Amino acid sequence: MPVTWFSAAAPVTRRVRAYFAPVNRAAQQPVLFDPSQPPGFDLDSPPPPWISLGFIQNFTRRPAGKTATIASGVPAAPLEQVRESLRAEVGFQFLAWTKLTMALATGSQHMNLLAPAANAVSVQSGSTAACIVLASADAQKCTTGQIVAVDLDYTGQTGFIGSPVSGAYLRQPLTDVDYLRRITFNVALIARIAGSTLTLAEPLPGGAPPAGAKLQALTGFVDREGGSFYHEWSALFVMEGSQGERIYFQYPRLQPMASAEESAQPLAAKGQGRLERIALNAHFLALPVTDPLDNERVVCYRSFLPAKNALV
Amino acid sequence: MQNAKDSFYIALRNRLAALNPERTIMLRGAVRPGILVEEAEAPFNQLPNDVFILRWLGHGADLDLASTLVAEECEILYNTCGCQTFGGLDRGRLLSEMDSELLTILQPFSTPKLSYSTQPPVALLTQVFWDEPVFSPAVTQRDRLSRSAKIMVYGYREPSQDQGE
Repeated sequence: MPVTWFSAAAPVTRRVRAYFAPVNRAAQQPVLFDPSQPPGFDLDSPPPPWISLGFIQNFTRRPAGKTATIASGVPAAPLEQVRESLRAEVGFQFLAWTKLTMALATGSQHMNLLAPAANAVSVQSGSTAACIVLASADAQKCTTGQIVAVDLDYTGQTGFIGSPVSGAYLRQPLTDVDYLRRITFNVALIARIAGSTLTLAEPLPGGAPPAGAKLQALTGFVDREGGSFYHEWSALFVMEGSQGERIYFQYPRLQPMASAEESAQPLAAKGQGRLERIALNAHFLALPVTDPLDNERVVCYRSFLPAKNALV
Repeated sequence: MQNAKDSFYIALRNRLAALNPERTIMLRGAVRPGILVEEAEAPFNQLPNDVFILRWLGHGADLDLASTLVAEECEILYNTCGCQTFGGLDRGRLLSEMDSELLTILQPFSTPKLSYSTQPPVALLTQVFWDEPVFSPAVTQRDRLSRSAKIMVYGYREPSQDQGE
């Protein structure tokens, strides 16, 4: 009889992939991931709202919760264990500088550098997450390769600002009409312009622009040391084993816990060159959620999908 | 390890045929994709140009695992003298092209393991996988440019293959 199974050794992986999804701050609603749901998680094309942030390195998980024992008897011996505190931290390095990786790797608010004298122009109906329709005269002012932010005008809102990604928290109203586009995550690169339609290189993370949205050119991004706002994201880290097995680490709520920090990594071996890659250091604190299954408070899930034919 | 070696070679051969169908070699009266296993062909006086030659080197095993992990180092050699149309002046460009092709066909870094000792091949239970390549400097010999890349190829021994794997 042919053997139809094998004893799997510990997974062998090359890299860790990171996926993030915005937490609805106003509703305090994280994104929960269920690895048992078919057809499985497509690593190259993750289902919305997950956004792929590519490969990360030096991924470390640190469970920092504390347990204590209740001792009994003479001499005292442990009778029970209790969980005194629940805490976990995650750290890694991003290998790319993008709007999202920069924002995640800073413990503060992250903003777009709106181009000077770049007036916002109205987005027309029929626009989608990947194609923006403008008035002809407005489209002519845009150029291929330009980075743009697409969002509504700021009209004096307070509290968590930005949708679906909250990019700031305001206690008092401001007078800056461009403030939403300053903090929005709806940014993209113009790949092509045909008539009055701009095709974006990647779809806007927030999906199709809402009615009344405007488009504004930007030159880059900025974050600050200080401030009182912390981003919050649901995160999923995936290790893919050499035999097709997968390890998922899901953190429903992660908040950056360190200020912006970079690390220089030599491109060549020691003494063989002076070029360095500047990686973004990211360090997060995991916040708890209540598991709907049994109302336990947890900060992280680790799931394992064994390789096909592997003994379990 | 033979099944892992065969599977690695066939995966690279199929990927090369899809990537660059023009890279071929006439061998034993047949036109084949331009990649061959040195130990499976008659000895060469001089390695052929513009093809990838797989040479198997070191061998190792990790016996402490649930399934024994076997590894073998593969050196992939390739040379070019450029093409006659340009009098060989394009040999640097052609070597770069082969560097790029090799990097492309090595990804993804795994392939299903099959036993090619029977026809049709039989699918086995595990995957063959390999590490990233380490490229050597280019070597110039007269009008000939050569390079090699070393890759560690891994495979698990399977219960049904105590003899063959």
